[in-house]
Amino acid sequence: MNRRSYIKGILALGTLSITSFSIFKWFDLSKSVSPEILLKKQRVIAEIAEMIIPVTDTPGAKAAGVDHYVIKIVTNCMSTIQQNKFISGLNDLEQYAIDHFDKEFIQCSNADKTAVIQYFESHSGFSNRIINKINNKLFGAPFYNKMKSLTVEGYCQSQLGATQGLAYDYIPGKFEACIPIQKNQKSWATK
Amino acid sequence: MNSNDKAKLQNTYDAIVIGSGISGGWAAMELCKKGLKTLLLERGRDVKHIEDYPTANLNPWDFDLGFNNTTKDIAADPIQSSAYSPADKHFYVSDAEHPYIQEKPFNWYRGYQVGGRSLTWGRQCYRLSDLDFEANAKDGVGVDWPIRYKDIAPWYSYAESHIGVSGQKENLHQLPDGEFLTPMELNCIEKHLGDSIKKDDSKRLVTIARVANLTRGWDNRGPCQNRNLCTRGCPFGGYFSSNSSTIPAAMATGNLTLRPFSIVTEILYDDQKQKAKGVRVIDTLSNEVYEFSSKIIFINASTIATTGILLNSVSSRFPNGFGNSSNQIGHNLMDHHSSAGAFGIHEDFTDQYYKGRRPSGFLIPRFRNLQDNENLGFKRGYNIQGHGERQEWMDKSGSITGFGADFKKQLTTPGPWTIWMAGWGECLPYYKNQVTLDASRKDKWGQPLLKLDFSFEDNEHKMMDDIRAVSGEMLEKAGFKNIDTFNYSRPGGSTVHEMGTARMGNDPKTSVLNKFNQMHDVKNVFITDGSSMTSSASQNPSLTYMALTARACAYAAEELKKGNL
Repeated sequence: MNRRSYIKGILALGTLSITSFSIFKWFDLSKSVSPEILLKKQRVIAEIAEMIIPVTDTPGAKAAGVDHYVIKIVTNCMSTIQQNKFISGLNDLEQYAIDHFDKEFIQCSNADKTAVIQYFESHSGFSNRIINKINNKLFGAPFYNKMKSLTVEGYCQSQLGATQGLAYDYIPGKFEACIPIQKNQKSWATK
Repeated sequence: MNSNDKAKLQNTYDAIVIGSGISGGWAAMELCKKGLKTLLLERGRDVKHIEDYPTANLNPWDFDLGFNNTTKDIAADPIQSSAYSPADKHFYVSDAEHPYIQEKPFNWYRGYQVGGRSLTWGRQCYRLSDLDFEANAKDGVGVDWPIRYKDIAPWYSYAESHIGVSGQKENLHQLPDGEFLTPMELNCIEKHLGDSIKKDDSKRLVTIARVANLTRGWDNRGPCQNRNLCTRGCPFGGYFSSNSSTIPAAMATGNLTLRPFSIVTEILYDDQKQKAKGVRVIDTLSNEVYEFSSKIIFINASTIATTGILLNSVSSRFPNGFGNSSNQIGHNLMDHHSSAGAFGIHEDFTDQYYKGRRPSGFLIPRFRNLQDNENLGFKRGYNIQGHGERQEWMDKSGSITGFGADFKKQLTTPGPWTIWMAGWGECLPYYKNQVTLDASRKDKWGQPLLKLDFSFEDNEHKMMDDIRAVSGEMLEKAGFKNIDTFNYSRPGGSTVHEMGTARMGNDPKTSVLNKFNQMHDVKNVFITDGSSMTSSASQNPSLTYMALTARACAYAAEELKKGNL
């Protein structure tokens, strides 16, 4: 890292700590997350995933078992800080539902759930790209963004998602370099 | 020598080959075919073709955590985990178990198993040309190659004919054609880029990658099924590896003894005969120490590990390392850079798609400094490698806004065409870029750790700037939008083309090996892995190692017959 980008980094960090993280929250983030907490959240995780990728003419996230995938990833592939950030973001989302609709998220009507998700869809992340990058690097992506990308990953790599939501070609045999696209062409599930 | 190690002379062979990766497999096959009883030593476990590819037939959903590495894996293997995923982790070492010292950041990717990194290699096969073999002499950089293209050309043909290389003849001086199987095909966007580039500059062209993936059945293997899961090992034998090809061929002669779990710690020198007499080995299962003797030794442990063995083999004759009277062993470490390039999106051809997962991309052969004095501010050149495709869910998930049915529809339908491409650039041999041993730190077998001190210099950085600018221009002229030119600035080792630490040359005072990869100092020892490279050129080097190995084996067998070794 050269001196200039180092200074830029420090400045961005300074802004970040004022806008998004109090010192108390930092302490909160360094305690480890117990697996039971996540399992208690499984239903709401499944519900959020289904809002992101709902059942249509093809299966949705719930049927594809995305909630199981998300919990496994949070447990095994996230640092303590990232896990805490995920849980605390999830709590924020649930709290938002209670504050605005007087109900647990999973009990909300579809319209209310949509409003909750819409709020987090438009309020996750800083407007500044560099601060976003640094924030993501230090603390992991904001909860909603992480949840959305894990939902996509879990769905598109699940058996139902890959074979019905997308087009899965297990053993292609031949490579056809240029072919006309079909009506209602689905993406290939794998590269 | 340690008097406690109870080393005993267990076995005698005609030849010993150290390392079973891409060049070691070739050495074993060639020596066995010439009737030599050959011992092939491999420090890692055995990996049998097909039966030891546990993930080869798995679907994405068969992986519990998708293709994410666990935090535990990342902590234990900070370097290797940047290359592996749960799909091929078993073909990489653990950094925790196999530490090395980074004087400066250096990604040393390793696969300690029978077949080595031939299981996970990129399969690109390009010949060097006289532009490369003459470069050092012309520029006054390093030392002159002791061979020219005509010396190695028939051996390139020999190697290609054995492994099977698909590719397109282009009749270029800087990138000679080879013995090719039917080429794979460029897709729409790649053809479009090729047309645009050729129209703009007749010196440049886009050709399909030349790869060791079989477009038809070959040597009882393949053809490639276009699954693009090569690094898991191929149950169809669709690409070349030691495991699928050279080791079974060596085994079939009845002359091969394969000994996995065998770390070679030293080459043993016979003062009276002034030859190598054999090797010392630690059996990693029993921790016992063995000695094996042979008439000739081929060292193919991979550049950095080969260097370690040589530096660790000290004697009164060679106090600075085996065959090191030139004091060049460990120096001149090179790796291609492949960090700079460009990415762009194209809005046309939305009615076109493809079927199958071609396990290769395209190549723009070198077009810089083909004549002397192009005054670009840097010496030598680069080739550009890349691929075109339509954006799929993994590329789009971060950029599609919204959620619900519309989001799902966008996510699951093909996005716009894109091209990603980067320059694979030549790295000059710098004496200061080196591998040394640190005797103060030992691994779990009591062997000194290897210390890597490497950085790219001005010539490489200037070349990266050129690659970045030129790649962006080529995409722009071809009508791409949202062009992002980049330099990932990845450290040395990231291209996994380590080379140069026991270089070939004419003069024993400034080089380690002669024109037949034979040690100047010790005539019955040959080194034919990447460490023998006098310059790096810009081509992916494995094919050259294979050709040099076959050539050296023919020479060694002949010399042995004549009683010269």
